[in-house]
Amino acid sequence: MSALRRVLGKLGGLLLTLFLASLLVFFSRFLVPGDPVSFLLRGRKPSPEAVAAVNAQYGLDLPPWQQYLSWIGGVLHGDFGRSLQYRQDVGAVIGERMPVTLGLVVMAGLMIAIVGLAAGAIAALNRGRVLDRSILIGLTALGAIPSFVGAIVLIAVFAVQLGWFPSFGSGDGGIDTLYHLVLPSTALALVFVVLVGKVTRSSMVDQLGREHVEVATSRGLRRGTVIRRHVFRNSIGPILTVSGLLVAGLLVASSIVESAFGLAGVGSLLVQSVSRLDFPVVQAIVLLIVFAFVAVNAVIDILEPVIDPRAAAGGGAR
Amino acid sequence: MTLLSIDELSLDLHDGTRLLHGVSLEIAAGETVGLVGESGSGKSLTARSVLGLLPPRAATAGSIRVDGREVLGASRRDLLALRRTSASMVFQDPRTSINPARTIGDHLTESLRVCGGWSARDATRRAVELMESVRLPRPDEHLRQYPHELSGGMLQRVMIAGALTGSPRLLICDEPTAALDVTTQAGIVSVLLEQRETRGMGVLFITHDLNLAAAMCDRVVVLSGGRVEERGLAREVFGNPQAAYTKRLVAATPTLAGAPGGDSVGPAVVVERIQGGSDATGRAGSVAGPPGDRRAEAAPVPPQALLDIRGLSKTYRRSGREAVTAVDDVSLRVERGGALGVVGESGSGKSTLARILVGLEAADAGEVVVDGRARTSLPASRAARLAHARSVQMVFQDPYLSLDPRLSVGRAIEDALHLHSHATSRDARARVLRLLDQVGLEERHADARPRTLSGGQRQRVAIARALAIEPDLLVLDEATSALDVSVQAQVLDLVASIRRHRGLTVLFISHDLAVVRRVCEDTVVMHRGRIVEGGSTAAILAAPQHPYTRRLIESVPRPGWDPAAAGAPLEPAGRGQGV
Repeated sequence: MSALRRVLGKLGGLLLTLFLASLLVFFSRFLVPGDPVSFLLRGRKPSPEAVAAVNAQYGLDLPPWQQYLSWIGGVLHGDFGRSLQYRQDVGAVIGERMPVTLGLVVMAGLMIAIVGLAAGAIAALNRGRVLDRSILIGLTALGAIPSFVGAIVLIAVFAVQLGWFPSFGSGDGGIDTLYHLVLPSTALALVFVVLVGKVTRSSMVDQLGREHVEVATSRGLRRGTVIRRHVFRNSIGPILTVSGLLVAGLLVASSIVESAFGLAGVGSLLVQSVSRLDFPVVQAIVLLIVFAFVAVNAVIDILEPVIDPRAAAGGGAR
Repeated sequence: MTLLSIDELSLDLHDGTRLLHGVSLEIAAGETVGLVGESGSGKSLTARSVLGLLPPRAATAGSIRVDGREVLGASRRDLLALRRTSASMVFQDPRTSINPARTIGDHLTESLRVCGGWSARDATRRAVELMESVRLPRPDEHLRQYPHELSGGMLQRVMIAGALTGSPRLLICDEPTAALDVTTQAGIVSVLLEQRETRGMGVLFITHDLNLAAAMCDRVVVLSGGRVEERGLAREVFGNPQAAYTKRLVAATPTLAGAPGGDSVGPAVVVERIQGGSDATGRAGSVAGPPGDRRAEAAPVPPQALLDIRGLSKTYRRSGREAVTAVDDVSLRVERGGALGVVGESGSGKSTLARILVGLEAADAGEVVVDGRARTSLPASRAARLAHARSVQMVFQDPYLSLDPRLSVGRAIEDALHLHSHATSRDARARVLRLLDQVGLEERHADARPRTLSGGQRQRVAIARALAIEPDLLVLDEATSALDVSVQAQVLDLVASIRRHRGLTVLFISHDLAVVRRVCEDTVVMHRGRIVEGGSTAAILAAPQHPYTRRLIESVPRPGWDPAAAGAPLEPAGRGQGV
């Protein structure tokens, strides 16, 4: 029963967060300089009547709170309004670009998980040795490289010099798209591998020193079994928490990488829409990012009692 | 035939530090050998070496044979086989020894399923059998429970059951009861003895507690600094120690019987019996009205009471959980210069009482009067905090945690002085040296950092810092529990001598009756937040009235050959109810 209450509580918190985020996302537009109407009219000297007509067409003549209500009402029905630059439904504009971004983020996420966990685990198991230190230094160096620099270096080496991977575009779908996404995903993953790697290392080092690990060893379990069943199993909590926090950074950084590799994804659409004052698109994308972040973290929160049974009892997570 | 034979075992760390200097011992099947020593004596290291659990890159010499097979230098496969079937180990703290993320059932069946290739069903049946044999009450339910749902005593039974899964011939117990309450310890010891009898195992029993070793073991080996100081039959070694080290150890060990070790000092302490009194059971619903009033009518208040606690209660409420009454209508008095012992097991509320006294915690009801001034409420302002601190000071359990590692000892004490008086630096320095001298430290210690000091020295520093403020009342909360017996004896002597010279009033909180007996003329026994019995320490030990007190005293281990001891010697079976 208490588990159900917990989940309901989390969902309530999630809805509240989304509501506050929608307020922030919507009204921040009024703080930004620039008038969308002048962009719509492409610099022509408009007659006051034309301006009024455009304002009325896009509902810009209403007071802000009414604009918010009609916007949020639409959002709840899946209607994010019309894009000013494409003169299409925002949903259609974003939907067209979503697969590329999803592919990019999922592929980068897998790379981060595999490389980060492996590097952290290897470092932890060789704690204090040369291998541990090399991995730590390597990770830190990678983490210090901004995504756009990483992207340029990857293009220079693997696309231009070696010619192994394409440097531009998202391919023709299927395998070809995955192939096109290898370099962008790598560029995106580089920064985040360091965080996952370091958290994995410190979490596992912490567990390796625990008495229950020595007990497991004393019972004749193989080292691999001890590591898997006791050390790694108990290290998952902190790793998941940090991974959840990474989601926001990953989504934001994807816009930089998409621009660098000429990918027609949601991230590059965001950058483009900001510069063109296409508010409906910006609002929709930001809201989506917030939603993805909050939802992922809510799922991790709900999973916590499964990972650490003491959390269900309200005890300390040690 | 010898089951375990350790021959001239020595062990060097990779930096060349030698931790074991030629340790030898033998255990036959069905025999219990005690390995006794203080921290750093190498007893745990010796025991772990038997299972091949060595520090990384350590170099060993000598030989360890289990069942005739050499352990040192054995292949990894042989080591795994040894750990699975020949020898197993029960560790000190069951709360940290079982993976908190896995169920009890997983812990008990893991090695059978993963290493032995048993089916889940057979392994589970075996786990239930083992849990029954260590007298766990509800095996089927425990299978699905997580470690945090069981008490320490139950978890240690799970650990023992886990150690027995491979039907080992040798069982190594590394301080298996040191983290448990004394009444729980009795149950664990009887389970261990019973299993040894029925399985004919050899047991290597490691402990720092001479009384426990005497109760459990046939033979003992006394270890100090990685060397064997003395060996022989338990009765002879403890009854008539030969080596100088063993003599000191035996003399330092507090006991329940014989002449009290503490000096009899100061005026007698008046222990306030609670209204409705020592028979705490018949007290239902009598809480209404301030108990102080009634007491004032009942008996004239002796004028000199330095500490007067009346009807003190504290309940912890946390949302979604049952409220816990940690301190329940506690009343007691200590005269100026007296020493009162507060004895209780974990969860008895004794530490909450201490925290209320020093103003770290607010009481829900009742009052605390120290030297005529009310000290009940939490000090709100800086001035009130200082005033409270001047009247009550506390020495905490763990001297490794209660001193700032970056402050030199002299600085730590000087800071306390500056906080509470406007002494000039030179005056303060002189007083620091005087205080260090009083607690048996020297001038050179003033510039030392805590990490360069031993546990006993650190606790002396903590006491000196508390005394610097010249408090009316010194509260010692388990102040010697983390220390070795010989160091504990020194600290207890120190407390006695300070009482003698300064007329200090002491509230001594401990789980250990024998230690309290050494320091305090009077004692109260706390159980579940209430004082169940109070009076002179000698009288309580000689003729305990409350059933809980009786159980507490009976649970203290005694050598089986010592008829002077009040309780019966520990027997293999029967008294396993104290989970």
